[in-house]
Amino acid sequence: MKRRTFVGAVGGSTLAGVAGCLTRDGGDEQGNGTEDGESDSETPDPEPENPDLEGELQVATYESMVDGDNPAGPWLKEAFEAAYPDAELNWTVPSEGVNQYINRAQQNAGIEADVYLGLNVDDLVRIDDTLDDGGLFRQLNVDRIDRAERIRDGLDMGDPHGRVLAYDTGYISLVYDETVVDAPETLDDLTEPAYEDALLAQNAQSSDPGRAFLLWTIDAYGEDGYLEYWRALDDNGVRVLDDWSESYYGSYMNEERPMVVSYSTDQVFASAEGYDMSRHQIAFPDGQGYANPEGMGIFEGASEVDLAYEFLDFALSSDAQAEIAQRNVQFPAVESQHVELDEEFDQYAHEPSEAVTVGYDELRGNLDGWVEEWAREFAGR
Amino acid sequence: MAAYRWFERHALSLTALVTAAVLAVMLYVPVGVVFVNAVVDDGAVTLAFFRAVLTDPFYVGVLAEVFADPLAVGTHLESLVGWLAAVSISVSVEYPIPGIAVPIPWPVLETPGVRTGLFGFTAYQAVLSTIASVALGLPAAYVLANYEFRGRRTLRSLTILPFVLPGIMVAVGFYAMFGEAGTLNQLLGTVGLGPYPFIEWNPLAIVIVAHAFYNAPLVARVTVAAWESVDVRTVETARSLGASPRRAFRDVVVPQLLPAVLTGALLTFIFTFMTFPIVLALGGLQLATVEVWIYDRVRQLAYAEAATLAILETILSLALTYAYLRYESAQSGLARGATAPSRTPLFPDLRTALSPRRLAIVGYGLVAVVIFVGPMASLVLGSVTDGSGLTGRHYAFLLERQLEGASYQTLPWIAVRNSLLFGVATLAVAVPMGVVVSVVTTRAGRSGAIVDAVAMLPLAVSGVVFGIGLLQGLVFGIPLPGGWRFQVTGAVAIVAAHAVAAYPFVTRNVSPLLTNLDPALVESARALGASRYRALRDVELPLVASGIIAGAAFAFAISIGEFSSTVILAGGGDTYTMPVAVERYLGRRSGPAIAMGTVLLFVTAASFVVVDRVGGRFEG
Repeated sequence: MKRRTFVGAVGGSTLAGVAGCLTRDGGDEQGNGTEDGESDSETPDPEPENPDLEGELQVATYESMVDGDNPAGPWLKEAFEAAYPDAELNWTVPSEGVNQYINRAQQNAGIEADVYLGLNVDDLVRIDDTLDDGGLFRQLNVDRIDRAERIRDGLDMGDPHGRVLAYDTGYISLVYDETVVDAPETLDDLTEPAYEDALLAQNAQSSDPGRAFLLWTIDAYGEDGYLEYWRALDDNGVRVLDDWSESYYGSYMNEERPMVVSYSTDQVFASAEGYDMSRHQIAFPDGQGYANPEGMGIFEGASEVDLAYEFLDFALSSDAQAEIAQRNVQFPAVESQHVELDEEFDQYAHEPSEAVTVGYDELRGNLDGWVEEWAREFAGR
Repeated sequence: MAAYRWFERHALSLTALVTAAVLAVMLYVPVGVVFVNAVVDDGAVTLAFFRAVLTDPFYVGVLAEVFADPLAVGTHLESLVGWLAAVSISVSVEYPIPGIAVPIPWPVLETPGVRTGLFGFTAYQAVLSTIASVALGLPAAYVLANYEFRGRRTLRSLTILPFVLPGIMVAVGFYAMFGEAGTLNQLLGTVGLGPYPFIEWNPLAIVIVAHAFYNAPLVARVTVAAWESVDVRTVETARSLGASPRRAFRDVVVPQLLPAVLTGALLTFIFTFMTFPIVLALGGLQLATVEVWIYDRVRQLAYAEAATLAILETILSLALTYAYLRYESAQSGLARGATAPSRTPLFPDLRTALSPRRLAIVGYGLVAVVIFVGPMASLVLGSVTDGSGLTGRHYAFLLERQLEGASYQTLPWIAVRNSLLFGVATLAVAVPMGVVVSVVTTRAGRSGAIVDAVAMLPLAVSGVVFGIGLLQGLVFGIPLPGGWRFQVTGAVAIVAAHAVAAYPFVTRNVSPLLTNLDPALVESARALGASRYRALRDVELPLVASGIIAGAAFAFAISIGEFSSTVILAGGGDTYTMPVAVERYLGRRSGPAIAMGTVLLFVTAASFVVVDRVGGRFEG
């Protein structure tokens, strides 16, 4: 009898499963409006007389925006819906990040999201290397986003197709234990005996801070010199672990090593967690930190374009900027007169005197090669 | 009644059909979708991607020259001879557990600058990991199968626990246990030793220990199942014929255990060959494996190269599986009854407790505590501490999220509920699937071995590639004529994907036992008029019950621990599981994720005890 129930259950669920498996495409093959390659001169998305501010806005983002410890996502949803009473904001977290939408676009599988919150320059490069140039997101009509001019200089993400605006930025720096090592003055110092077996970095193939640190060294030593610098780091015993979480929670927090590539906002967390501050000192070698601005964009096939523009503008409002910065522990994208931050944030979140970024133009066509050459250097045997 | 008869007569073939259907949708389609990338470029079939990988020394080391010019046999032989002349194998003694003088012979291959390539290194660490897992798993199986002590059953149920832990949890647990400021060093510090940088000294050794953490329980589990179904009458016969206990063990017990031990070793090899998060988390990029590169290629959307690497990986695993299965099917014909061996008390009195054998068991127990209990206990400890001491706030986060969380957030209870539901459903689907595959293949000889090897495909396919296949093939949907799309997502798809991943474990636990059954038993049942299904149900299954229970526990464990396909098929819905919740809570603070990991640990531990207790009733 038991077996029969088994078989029945298996057969039944398979049938039930298959029955719900066929869907019909809505016919909205998202090809309309994608031909704006030559219409760059015209203003895209001209501002309508009566914008449609009603409906459900789908915003795709990454996990820690909605699921972390006190993240900004829930606040953004509530505040946006309060400001636009006829609108509803729905978060969606694609399991593969932007790749998921690139894949969908490749396969004409339709994209339901309107806005993506959390793009970086690498994503734009990957989109353009995979899809048509300037693909996936709309060229923004910045005139429709009044607060766009508040964005600080230097957070221009350099997209020639004008698809993204920065909404916050983080700086990659070194976090170190001052009882064991001194702050390195320069990147070169890290290859000195004083820092032997001291540094933890992350795999640039899979980790954002890892890739940022790699790009920082490319900025400093050039694409002809960076591998040599890394060979010197390797000789000095650098350890390249998988991801920020493993290197930080695993290795660094268990005092395996006195220095880790991390974020310049580390002290904000350390103070909140009651950690010993001497283990959470921030170093900016050469006075620099690598800036990783996070951007937002509107999908080409977005169905709520007007609401999407309002959302972008809203995300740059003073309140939203302060909440995003403090809850996600990133720096605001707007000039300081437009945003008020808690004293504690100012005290513990450090900014480098010089921000380094490798822009879109240099990354385009090069990024994959740089990362792979670098990874082969370490993994090759 | 007639319907029942009909059903009974066709039960086996129906289950086989359903199995085939589930496999087609949840395995062959998604994997096929990705693998096509490896051989099709711009609509034309090509072998260019294979050529590129096989002639790249980075991937295949010195073999690249051979693949580049396969016909230049003379040149290759010449360089091989020259190379062999310069090779020396020495065994150096290493102390992977520094401070404690446990010398472990470490084979060192002195070669004149040979490049093993990524594949060579991956195989090398997999071999070492397999040896370590077997070495650590067999003593556990020996103790569990031969001795009686308080909590034996519970311990046996819990052997499989490490198996379900997400990679990040194992990494954090290992650093917390073996790190310079870790628990082990603190313990050693109390007796004036250390601290020792265990992980930094030999990252490869730590990776191998971590692999043993995952896989030794698997070896133990499979072996215990076989040991408990050893027919003691054969041992008694040997003894009555004058064999010493040692001789009886070697000639009678070992041959009956060997298929199970090798099954455990095979599974371990395949798993560690495909290893991904642990090598980078503990060992770093220097110890990258093929799977790491597949993941990177997928992230770069270079599917052709990813698929090519994955196919090569699969071919290697399947070839090994096939070789093993040929061996397994050659082992059949040992008469087997259900007279389970009796267990002796572990510590009956003080004198026995001080005998060398008992002391060795105590010694092994200590090693097991350090390697298995240590990382898990460190994890639990991490969930109730923060920078300033004991705290309950990580759990308060879970509670608050449960009570106040929004619908788009991850709620702990839903994760627990889903994990348990999917686990039970997976068990219900995977056990019949696995048993059917076993039955269909065990008596079929050589062709059976081929089918059986193909049935192991879920284990042999890169998890990363399988995930991408599910996404592209089933979540996005396959376009059909007329604007229709074939899509499979949601709970049913998750259970089916888990069942596909799990049934090979049922098969591999059941097959060695089934192979060893005397075929005459089934033949006489059939001759007396029993249908094939009745013969299976009434004769064979009771005799291999221990294997089925072990397989069922694995099916449950696979479902609980599975991550990549769950996260893809769950999408934005509320079908996430505990490991997915762990990953989602992982932000700039580790507390909530570690607390969720601890919940995962306790919920799973409790369910394993239940699975085993319930299963135990059918074992008789």
